[in-house]
Amino acid sequence: MNPALSGALERGEIRRGDDFAVAPAPTLASGFPVLDAELPGGGWPRGALTELLPGGEGVGELGLLLPALARLSQARGCIVLVAPPHRPHAPAWAAAGVRLDGLHLVFPRSPRDALWAGVEALRCAEVAATLLWLDGFFRAGLPANSLRRLQVAAGEGGGAAFCFRPQPFAAQSSPAALRLHLQAAGRQLRVHLLKRRGPPARQDILVDIARPARSASGFHALAGPALPAAGERRERRRATA
Amino acid sequence: MRLDIGASLRLFGGLEALLGQLRAELAAMQVAAQLAVAPTPLAALWLARAGDGVVCPDPAALRAALQALPLSALRLAPPLARRVEGFGLRRLDAVLALPRASLGRRLGKAFVLDLARALGELPDPQPCFVFPEGFAQEVELPAPVESAPVLLFAARRLIAALTGWLAVRNGALRGIELRLVHAQDGCTLVPLAFSRPVHAVSRIERVLKERLGTLCLPAPVLSLRLCAGAIESRPGGSELLFEGPGQGQEALAELLDRLAARMGADMVRGLACHADHRPEQASCMPAQGLIAMPSKIDNLPRPLWLLESPEALREVGGRPRRGGELRLLAGPERIESGWWDGADARRDYFVAIDARGAWLWIFRDSSGSGGWFLHGLFS
Repeated sequence: MNPALSGALERGEIRRGDDFAVAPAPTLASGFPVLDAELPGGGWPRGALTELLPGGEGVGELGLLLPALARLSQARGCIVLVAPPHRPHAPAWAAAGVRLDGLHLVFPRSPRDALWAGVEALRCAEVAATLLWLDGFFRAGLPANSLRRLQVAAGEGGGAAFCFRPQPFAAQSSPAALRLHLQAAGRQLRVHLLKRRGPPARQDILVDIARPARSASGFHALAGPALPAAGERRERRRATA
Repeated sequence: MRLDIGASLRLFGGLEALLGQLRAELAAMQVAAQLAVAPTPLAALWLARAGDGVVCPDPAALRAALQALPLSALRLAPPLARRVEGFGLRRLDAVLALPRASLGRRLGKAFVLDLARALGELPDPQPCFVFPEGFAQEVELPAPVESAPVLLFAARRLIAALTGWLAVRNGALRGIELRLVHAQDGCTLVPLAFSRPVHAVSRIERVLKERLGTLCLPAPVLSLRLCAGAIESRPGGSELLFEGPGQGQEALAELLDRLAARMGADMVRGLACHADHRPEQASCMPAQGLIAMPSKIDNLPRPLWLLESPEALREVGGRPRRGGELRLLAGPERIESGWWDGADARRDYFVAIDARGAWLWIFRDSSGSGGWFLHGLFS
């Protein structure tokens, strides 16, 4: 190979199509070895945007991030949630290992403020991870130039950046470094790599994320006398009346 | 203003350097000034009134400089000034040529004593400068301002004065208040709060910039007034040789302050646990700066997201539905609490999966209607 060409390849600014890109900053281990093996640099990128496109709310989109967030948080890193879709339930976050005093919630009211808050949080070097839910503010989802602004801001701040987007936007192109499509698969989570700085992924990854424990009693408690079905109770009330 | 610089010359690297620094700082504050240096405070004051840049290092030069001084520089009381003028005296050399004893008889003893103090013949002790306890300064704008962001330029001067005041007291502030004064005694208050005590110009300025950026002025602003809140002592702590994680976090504090300044303090929150069994009461979002309570962790399944208000679910044949039939995986967990505060809750919680594979936290209200509700998402 031409020595000038091999020199350029070694610097990491150019990658070969069949190889992983060299991550600009050390990556953040996701806590799932099967997933890390498929991510360039062996973990979540820092200083670049990661897009997560869950098939629906509640499939486990946060569960995929929690091990990494908990580790950042235990090292006294700070986590900012910009425009979270619901109220975070403090006991659950604490039980997952996230230090609540390092967790900050931002609730912007206008699209302008939302984008500004996202960019500012990403640019702050002392924010270890930023989680964004911005599509709800825009009628047709986040505009492409706004996504590019977020990507540039993430590069300036150097923290981990996770942008949650509804699944329909998977078809649109995006400047994010990593794009994942998430789907529930029983107790597991099916991760489809839409985009990574590396060769196209051959198959989906099944990740064992933390799920609520299956209780031993299961359906028995439901069927037991403690909780009669609503219809039955109505009848009983009618009978006593 | 009179400064005794005799003892400070070496520290500042000589007279020229000291004057240069003084001029530069005055220019930065956009203050017009005339400087004069003389061996006695009164002479320096007179010389500065007459013109800028007169420097007389010794008594001989002082006498020469004073002799050329017009009497108007002395700012005599009007009756005295009229009498001196009546004698035909215009410049100080004419006054100094007259015998002092007769001058004292005609113009009063105080005038002669002032002359002696200016020439250094009598001691002239000055009162020590007492630093103000509180800070409140006002600046008049050259023209009424109608756009809030423009006010930042005028406020900069006040902030510079404030930080100078803080530096002397080795203090820091958690809050300041900027009062924008309109015509007809109306005024707009712009309070700024900081998540941790600040003392740097740049920090205050950047937070103020975001606040002014969203401010709507009801009327043109004529002047600005800046007041300092309670002062805190600046944390003393040694500087780190290497950057350590979690140390300082000044940039983070600034980010939170700026977010709160632009969007309102309610829009930037922390998260804390609250000791209550009812899920909607077990989590609270305190404003920034409040300390989160230590949390008790148990192993019961709890969702990461809690809905603002429980969402009613359809029920078919005693089974809850959302899209399709829900599969119940774990439960019930009875939560019964709150009879004392009117928000009585008696619920049986279950973990459920819907047709699309979303993990839900649902409950059956066992106190009232007996209906099913969605309360949280496990995500």
